[in-house]
Amino acid sequence: MNRPELQTVAASQQRVRERVGRSLRRRYRAERRFRACGLGAVLAGVLAVGGLFVSIVSTGYSVFWQTRITLDIQFVPEAVRAGDFTALVRAALRQQFPEVEGRQDLRQLYGLISDGAGYELRDRVAAEPGLSGTTAAIALLAADDVDQLRKGRSDRHAPEAERIISDRQLAWLDELDRRQRIHRQFNREFFTAGDSREPEQAGIRGALVGSFLTLLVTLLLSFPIGVAAAVYLEEFAPRNRLTDLIEVNINNLAAVPSIVFGLLGLAVFIQFFGVPRSAPLAGGLVLTLMTLPTIIIASRAAIRAVPPSIREAALGMGASPLQMVAHHVLPLALPGMLTGAIIGMARALGESAPLLMIGMVAFIADVPAGALSPATVLPVQVFLWADSPEPAFLERTSGAIIVLLVFLLLMNAAAVILRQKFERRW
Amino acid sequence: MDLERQQQRQTVGDITVPDPVICCRGVNVRYGDKPAIRDVSLDIAHHEVIAMIGPSGCGKSTLLRCLNRLNDTIPGAVVTGTITLDGQDIYDRQQDVVQLRARVGMVFQKPNPFPKSVYENVAYGPRIHGLAAGRAELDEIVQTSLQRAGLWDEVKDRLNQPGTALSGGQQQRLCIARTIAVSPEVILMDEPCSALDPIATARIEDLIDELRQNFTICIVTHSMQQAARVSQRTAYFHLGDLIEVGPTERIFTNPRHRLTEDYLTGRFG
Amino acid sequence: MQTSTLILVLLALSAVAYQLGRGRALQLVGGPRRRRDLHSLPAYYGLLTAVWCGLPALVVVAGWQLLDDRILTALVVDEMPAGTRALPPGELSLVLNDVRNLVAGNVAAESVTPAVAAAAQRWRRLDALGHLGASGLTLAVALAGGWLAWRRITPRLPARNHVERIAERVLLGCSLIAILTTIGIVLSVLWESIQFFRLVPVSEFVFGTQWSPQLAIRADQVGSSGAFGAVPLFAGTLLISAIAMLIAVPVGLFAAIYLAEYASRRFRTLAKPVLEVLAGIPTVVYGFFAALTVAPLLRLTGERLGLEVAAESALAAGLVMGIMIIPFVSSLADDMITAVPQSLRDGSYGLGATRSETIRRVVLRAALPGIVGGVLLAISRAVGETMIVVMAAGLSANLTANPLEAVTTVTVQIVTLLVGDQEFDSPKTLAAFALGLVLFLVTLALNIVALQVVRRYREQYE
Repeated sequence: MNRPELQTVAASQQRVRERVGRSLRRRYRAERRFRACGLGAVLAGVLAVGGLFVSIVSTGYSVFWQTRITLDIQFVPEAVRAGDFTALVRAALRQQFPEVEGRQDLRQLYGLISDGAGYELRDRVAAEPGLSGTTAAIALLAADDVDQLRKGRSDRHAPEAERIISDRQLAWLDELDRRQRIHRQFNREFFTAGDSREPEQAGIRGALVGSFLTLLVTLLLSFPIGVAAAVYLEEFAPRNRLTDLIEVNINNLAAVPSIVFGLLGLAVFIQFFGVPRSAPLAGGLVLTLMTLPTIIIASRAAIRAVPPSIREAALGMGASPLQMVAHHVLPLALPGMLTGAIIGMARALGESAPLLMIGMVAFIADVPAGALSPATVLPVQVFLWADSPEPAFLERTSGAIIVLLVFLLLMNAAAVILRQKFERRW
Repeated sequence: MDLERQQQRQTVGDITVPDPVICCRGVNVRYGDKPAIRDVSLDIAHHEVIAMIGPSGCGKSTLLRCLNRLNDTIPGAVVTGTITLDGQDIYDRQQDVVQLRARVGMVFQKPNPFPKSVYENVAYGPRIHGLAAGRAELDEIVQTSLQRAGLWDEVKDRLNQPGTALSGGQQQRLCIARTIAVSPEVILMDEPCSALDPIATARIEDLIDELRQNFTICIVTHSMQQAARVSQRTAYFHLGDLIEVGPTERIFTNPRHRLTEDYLTGRFG
Repeated sequence: MQTSTLILVLLALSAVAYQLGRGRALQLVGGPRRRRDLHSLPAYYGLLTAVWCGLPALVVVAGWQLLDDRILTALVVDEMPAGTRALPPGELSLVLNDVRNLVAGNVAAESVTPAVAAAAQRWRRLDALGHLGASGLTLAVALAGGWLAWRRITPRLPARNHVERIAERVLLGCSLIAILTTIGIVLSVLWESIQFFRLVPVSEFVFGTQWSPQLAIRADQVGSSGAFGAVPLFAGTLLISAIAMLIAVPVGLFAAIYLAEYASRRFRTLAKPVLEVLAGIPTVVYGFFAALTVAPLLRLTGERLGLEVAAESALAAGLVMGIMIIPFVSSLADDMITAVPQSLRDGSYGLGATRSETIRRVVLRAALPGIVGGVLLAISRAVGETMIVVMAAGLSANLTANPLEAVTTVTVQIVTLLVGDQEFDSPKTLAAFALGLVLFLVTLALNIVALQVVRRYREQYE
């Protein structure tokens, strides 16, 4: 090395110092910009979550209340015997407003009370036969338009033409309110009734039972099969073409669009094997195929987390591979497998697209009696209600979503707790 | 007992040099609650090779990472005391990390070329610092850097191949070329040969000897032979304390502290 | 006998077989004291007998369950008057529906034709006969299997090995379901698609720009029930997916970068679960959100700006789909970014690079293959997403690139064509399967490429 080079190095060191110094401002500005982008992205995500929840909860929370109008019902024995309870309701309404006449006006008056009020009275009399021949003050379900008005969901100050409730109806309602005949109470029917065309009578019981039956079928099939497949792949499978093929298939099925599983269910389960349409059994079968990859992948991870030393210890004692798995690996891997199963079930609970394909989208008012009777599930119920034109169904839809989200939250919390409680560091 | 401990912690030998480039005074580093080095004072002279040796976990790498503030990237690391570069406190608020690291480069234990081509690896530093005005100037910087790192002849025909495709020794020399492309004043080397075979190690050692003409080099090493071969001064660390500093020849032939002697004679290490 | 009773009986029989097998093994060596003379534990002899008793019989039950409806239908149709049998498949299935309803007691006997009543009668008789036969066969198989296994028991019989071999086969069978599912998907969509392409030429389907399955536009149209040119659907799917990716990729990627490289630990533990909440929300909820909140909002904004925004604009559906995919992109990107070794970051910092320079030029560069794989997976999800577009995108097949107009997608059309009462063999339902085939092939290709890329990337740093 000679002197000139030494000088060039020293010179370039000096030059670097200057240039770096000059570039600093620009570079730190870029740094701040980049960082702000990152923070902005995170906040955008958080904002989306917030917006979603606010919009759902603000439209849905009021579903848990309902409006009832108290009327003095005269249980005329002839009408009770004939089963004409609607006439009783109408008579009671006319009694409140004797001045109303004419078919048009009367129809408006009758429209204040839900069409379902007659059935309520029928059930009431069936439970209490002594009512016949007496007069009792009974709180009857208000029509959905009245309910929406009372909840402040429709604007009473809007011009009459833009209102569902007419000026006359408004006046009657105010009068009833003055007589303290209107009150609101917890909406029990939302949880105990099946679906209905009338928003105020529609409930989620049918969908809840349908979801429960469907998930039961899914869990009973997918958990044992998934665990068995995971055990085979982790503990017994030789490394060959077949095993590779299985692996590729599992990974790929985890990413196949859910609607394709619906097509499979329609063509294979319903058309070929003759499983009844709309039945929880059919839904459960489709969801089983969908959740299997999730459960297999989670179970394999749990099995892999069991340290080899335990396997070696068992084999060293002369246990057969199956005994080793059954006595040592499975009990240790069980919490992880259960966590995977719960997460798989949570996803199955929220799934709706494939179920549309196999007919679980039909209007079904009855609560399903078993795994073979026609049913719908909670997310599909949401879809059905979201499609309905009545504004009152908007509130029902959001309410059903709230219930669905609560269930999902509980399941995920269970998975988190299970994981934390049983997580073992080896 | 306390007195003995006190005596043990007193650094033996002269820690100062005339006209130092780096000057450490009372440096303490801890990771969370765990102290890594205690009260270390040491000067580093212009254009010298100083070796830092000692058993694993003695804090020599920690001190090295303090010198270009790479400890900043480790959460929980706290550095106290003063370290100056050309008389300027590098932990001062005014001191810019980017500027500091451009002046104090670092070569790591395991070769860590970026997943880019050989050319882009060397051009990375000049690009981010804006050192080259055009492509021609950049080409020149890349070429001289690779030449100084003794790698040019081996890679000049495959500058566009990925840096990760080179052999281990070549990768490490690529990392050295990458470092000198920024024309730093000091190069820190953290056990640069520990992942290499003896032949590659010998090449790097020759390279260090040549680089001494232009750069100050601090090298942490596990190998006492390497320290003896490449360095002019040696610092011996033990459990976070700087035990002894001195001219390499003196330390290896006539260590004054009992711990240094024990280490050099292989009683522990 | 009911299937459930039959299965209970089988379980009971197996339990008895277990006891018998175990007892015989012990008896052969002369009592429990001498059980060491047996090759395996006595319980294994019991298990072997029980498995041989239960498993083959179960297969018989399953087979009967799967096939009885088809066999019955075939037999009943065979006996129908020639005129009924000659009906086109659609009408024949209506007649069969009547028969089934009558059998199930859903309709009164007076309301149907005598032919249907006769068929129902015959159905009932055959059904009873079949059930009886199947039950008898099942029990016979169970008894025979149990007896054979019981007879074969000797002290030297390696019962444990036999049982374990059977167990392993069962485990293998369970993992083969993954392959069977794929085969099932391929066969079901392929079979119906082939029938569809017999009615509508492939070229018209792939290159045609007119999609109106509901009405005939020319008299000589195939099946005279509509036009099946799928280009508008492909274009619509592409448009909405592109909008979704334009939202999801930058936001997801930047969020992952911020959380992995910048955020303090506290911020990360707070923000990460919030983003993950997005991944757990059912798609039907997103669909409702799009239709209820986002679409009206966009319309309103459009009006302010003097723009014509359709009620079911592609923008609204794409926007919400993008939100849905954000956590998917961000968690995959997060995995990829944290997989980049710290030594590369150190190398860059050691040269004096700032954090963003290191991330942009080194970390992202190194993680690029993994991120590309993740984005491909995300595209595959966007293309296959159904509920959001069903609820928020349109039904009419417009061929447009304007995100403010309504477009329709492949998945929307599959749903509209298949939901509701349809004859199964009409070109309309078959078209849904052809669309399903396209969807499956496209997502399959995306998934396979993406999984390969991601796997290679993971191996690189392991």
